[in-house]
Amino acid sequence: MSDLQQDVTNLIYRESSLLDRREWDSWIDLYTEDAVYWVPSWANEEETITDPELQLNLIYLRNRGGLEDRVFRIESRDSYASVPLDRTVHVVGNVLIENESGDEIEATANCIIHTYGKKGGLTRGSLYDFNLRRVDGALKITRKKITFIDDRLEGPIDVYHL
Amino acid sequence: MDGSILTDNLSSVVDDRVDEGMFRVDRAVYTDEDIFEQEVQNIFEKCWIFLCHEDQVAEHGDYFWTEIGRQPVFVHRQEDGSLKCFVNACSHRAAILTPFRRGNAKTITCRFHGWSYSCEGACIGIKNEEPDTDRSKFNLREIAKLESYKGFIFGSLSPDVPTLDDWLGAAKPWIDLMVVQSPDGLEVVPGSSTYTIDGNWKLQAENSVDGYHVSTVHRVFAHTIAARESKGEYTGIGKTEAGRIGGGVPTASYDLGNGHMAIWAEHTTPEVRPIWEAKERLEAELPPEQVDWIMTKGRNLFLFPNVMLMDNPSTQIRVMKPLAASRVDVSIYCIAPKGESDKARAGRLRKFEDFYLTSGMATSDDIAALEDTHEGSLARGSKWSEFNRGLDSITYGADDDARALGFEPAACTDNWDHEVLYHGFYRHWLKMMKGER
Repeated sequence: MSDLQQDVTNLIYRESSLLDRREWDSWIDLYTEDAVYWVPSWANEEETITDPELQLNLIYLRNRGGLEDRVFRIESRDSYASVPLDRTVHVVGNVLIENESGDEIEATANCIIHTYGKKGGLTRGSLYDFNLRRVDGALKITRKKITFIDDRLEGPIDVYHL
Repeated sequence: MDGSILTDNLSSVVDDRVDEGMFRVDRAVYTDEDIFEQEVQNIFEKCWIFLCHEDQVAEHGDYFWTEIGRQPVFVHRQEDGSLKCFVNACSHRAAILTPFRRGNAKTITCRFHGWSYSCEGACIGIKNEEPDTDRSKFNLREIAKLESYKGFIFGSLSPDVPTLDDWLGAAKPWIDLMVVQSPDGLEVVPGSSTYTIDGNWKLQAENSVDGYHVSTVHRVFAHTIAARESKGEYTGIGKTEAGRIGGGVPTASYDLGNGHMAIWAEHTTPEVRPIWEAKERLEAELPPEQVDWIMTKGRNLFLFPNVMLMDNPSTQIRVMKPLAASRVDVSIYCIAPKGESDKARAGRLRKFEDFYLTSGMATSDDIAALEDTHEGSLARGSKWSEFNRGLDSITYGADDDARALGFEPAACTDNWDHEVLYHGFYRHWLKMMKGER
């Protein structure tokens, strides 16, 4: 495995582990200040929307502050949907480097997310599209697009469910 | 059986003694499967049901598949621009005729045995047709009633319903407040979300016009937005409005008759709303009372029994489909004035995504509360939910704001914490459950 493949895979594994282990601040640190976090809604049975600005998203955060909002709400212990917090296990696979240009890298991965909460166990899937950047020698996420394949949603969906 | 006793004596579950200071509902109305069966037959299959918005079936051949109660139907745009709504089942073996929830087909061909139908519903093709077949007896069945009110399409399986105009009654000026925001009407923004709630549909109906929960359930939303704004990251129309969540602003609640309900609360920062850019145009085009309502009052409207229209920080159509006493599907759409600027549209959508959606930071909390409420309703040791807040403040008929807009509610109070609006909901529910019209 090339060093780059190893670094990219480690970063994506690290992210899912930090979410499952509730290490929110370390999770946010994986993102650059200007990072975009995008979960499009489905336009129909086969296609998601394509324009996050002018169409409806499930989540569309345009900088790292948006992630901080989510963590603020989770950590407040005042969110009905987040107390008790669902348990999650992310299993990431199919990590592929799609493009590399200087310090900018594009990668994709698949994820199966098993959630356990009040409704019992739910298993769902996501396709990940990452844009990564080398910053002071370390890889950071500048953009993450999550295509959440479930459409008729059970229970709350927050950043740790995706 | 508890259930059959209740359905034989429905009056016992709605204890309506307002004169004595008591209006309460037996929580079995949320949990009892026999009551649910009766609701499907006596309410959802006998009532005007919201189907979709005309923008969702804009072109000849556009179809929209939905359900009335549990029965599949589809709305189909005709060549002459009119609308028809058919039972969504092949006349031959009942296969669903539309492959997608929304699509376009000027003729419909069943994917099972290949029978085909014109846009008008005529059976026009039978594979390996036998001699002397009378195709006309296989024409698609239209539902009994289909009408549109300013773009909002409603249908009824029963012919025995009032005109849509009479049915909507005092709710019409509330719908108009959304419709008049653009001279070109409204459009449904691409994308939607559907979620399933483990709770009764009436809990969702109640919640959609419940001002009282806002300052507890959505306190965390207000705090989150305050923390965001303290960092100065969002300005102008990019801000999400959370000021009225804490209370302390003028509010009101209305029983609009026929089971329809509504609340409003005054906006604290109307200048961050997407409609703000249109203020001068609206002032030139519309009566000042209507502009005042649009610009200053954030509104939630519930139309009995299955649709909610929200125009507060963002704008939403929320449609319910009851599945069982303890399950309801909810589909939500962002509805917006045609022709607004991209900046306003983006602001409207970001506010929508912040608050609404099961992936948002407020609706998700509502759903969790509803599901807990449903579960708690199974406790027969505490079986009554009282709706008595505001009993001493009831105005029968219009208040000043209602007179200004020109609608006549059955009752209202000057506080969205009040519960009097639910009396109208449950009285109409009881009337329909008993088969009265």
